[in-house]
Amino acid sequence: MSETLLQQIDKLAAEANTKSIQLREGETIIELDQNQLKNFIKRLVTETPARHLSTITGLDLGQNVGIIYHFWHERNMIHVKTFVPKEKPVALSIVEIVPGAILYEMEIHDMLGVEFIGNPWMDRKLLLPDTWPADLPPPLLKTTKPAEIRKRLGLEVEGK
Amino acid sequence: MSEDQVKPARKEEAAGLMKYSAENLVPFGPIHPALKEPEYFKLVLEGEKIVEVIPRIGYVHRGLEKAAESRPWVQNMYMFERTCGICSFVHSLTYGQAVEGLTIYEVPHRAKFIRTIVAELERIHSHLLWVGLMGHWVGFETLFMWVWRDREVVLDLVEAISGNRIHKSMNAFCGVRRDMPEGMEDRIVERMKFVVDRANYYKEIVDTEETMLERTEGLGKISQDIAEKLCAVGPMARYVGLRRDIRLEDPYAAYDEVPFDIVTCKEGDVHALLKLRLDEMIVSANIISYAVKNMPDGPIRVKIPPVIPAGEHASHCEAPRGEIFYYVKSSGGRIPDRVKSRTPTLANLPTALEILKGRTIADVPVVLTAIDPCFGCMDRMSFLDVETNREWTWSGEQLRQYGINHYLHDRTRRK
Repeated sequence: MSETLLQQIDKLAAEANTKSIQLREGETIIELDQNQLKNFIKRLVTETPARHLSTITGLDLGQNVGIIYHFWHERNMIHVKTFVPKEKPVALSIVEIVPGAILYEMEIHDMLGVEFIGNPWMDRKLLLPDTWPADLPPPLLKTTKPAEIRKRLGLEVEGK
Repeated sequence: MSEDQVKPARKEEAAGLMKYSAENLVPFGPIHPALKEPEYFKLVLEGEKIVEVIPRIGYVHRGLEKAAESRPWVQNMYMFERTCGICSFVHSLTYGQAVEGLTIYEVPHRAKFIRTIVAELERIHSHLLWVGLMGHWVGFETLFMWVWRDREVVLDLVEAISGNRIHKSMNAFCGVRRDMPEGMEDRIVERMKFVVDRANYYKEIVDTEETMLERTEGLGKISQDIAEKLCAVGPMARYVGLRRDIRLEDPYAAYDEVPFDIVTCKEGDVHALLKLRLDEMIVSANIISYAVKNMPDGPIRVKIPPVIPAGEHASHCEAPRGEIFYYVKSSGGRIPDRVKSRTPTLANLPTALEILKGRTIADVPVVLTAIDPCFGCMDRMSFLDVETNREWTWSGEQLRQYGINHYLHDRTRRK
């Protein structure tokens, strides 16, 4: 069963002109371009049993913002990784394929400033306070320092 | 008595109750049921019917993921344990497993069993807490008191094993910090028998007590397909019949060595969810009894260097509320490059919002409690009536009273 799932993933990856890399037993990572992503995830959730999306991780990789979609089935985790440039952080939303992704995309929007096209709740904040200054960079970027956030939000404590 | 005569009297009573609860709070003694964490849901109404629910969370967001990027690997383990005050152990367990996966060291056999025992004790106490809260929200305070008393039995065991009731700080990388105390075996097995007895008794109550049946039966129906698409986890997936449990599907700790089966049900309402959680307590009690009797000897910990090799790894565990997920990325230093944590409540929130559509305001507390939210209370709830364009705000306690009065009124009308 698990072998067939991995074979299916290999096949899907080959059709998307990429390769699946086995990180370690039970963990597979697939790196994809933005334009391939939606099609790949659609095929993943409809053709394979790996339908459950655990979460979406966003991470600052210097020039790019990495977005990882974590799917799992039984003993296999499938990480689908894609990148968006930091200057223009725009990604395509997968909400119409996986409706449960809506809050995870909002979280990345708040924390890393990535705009997901197609997510109906992109105009709202989920985690950041309403008073978050518009010109302050997203908090989870490596260039945003906690001291700066504290200062701008008026949370600076004397003597610290 | 005609309906018209009942209504004004009820209204006055309701107003009186609200005044009482808002202004004269009676302290409940050392164990206060105040799980008041701020969350905000905007309910869009049509008359009394809910059209849409818009969540606004983050009032208690402390920026742990950012903080983790400036702290050593070990310190993070105890920081992430403080994410939650109920399922604290499973946070450090999952984070620990994610980091252990990057190293070459193995977790000792005995440590795996201790991890399993503490994780299951945590599940029992979390489920008991939830059953009690459910009693509170439907207005069945006696159940609440009984259940929370029984929870003390489990918390005493946790304290005896770990030294703490809530933040156990039991985990270390590749092992646990404390061994099981001598002579605990009989005591644990005896207490687990007590837990099983009580769970069976509560199942009987839940099935026969009118208040419970009225408020929970038929409520919270959702199709299996939608729950799967919304990525529901834990009991919220199992109560519609999905067999999704990481303990069974992707075993960690010592779960592959302990015989057990997970509980699912088909009814898919809050009443079934109540019985499901009570059944899960029985399963957990049996797992603990088995693990205690079959515990292997040996070391409990392997010491690992403070520098974690470069790489990325994800790990997930079955917390009391469902799947908990950690992703770590190391660049080969003393501090992590990125730690991502996802708690089960966030995963279950879309499902709860979907269930609420089409229900009445009176069902809101019960449905939102059904997902066992980590954010506890529904304080600062605001309402928007699309018909009259009126907007108002209620506190969690006002909402609870409204729910109870609504169903009391309903019952009187039927009689």
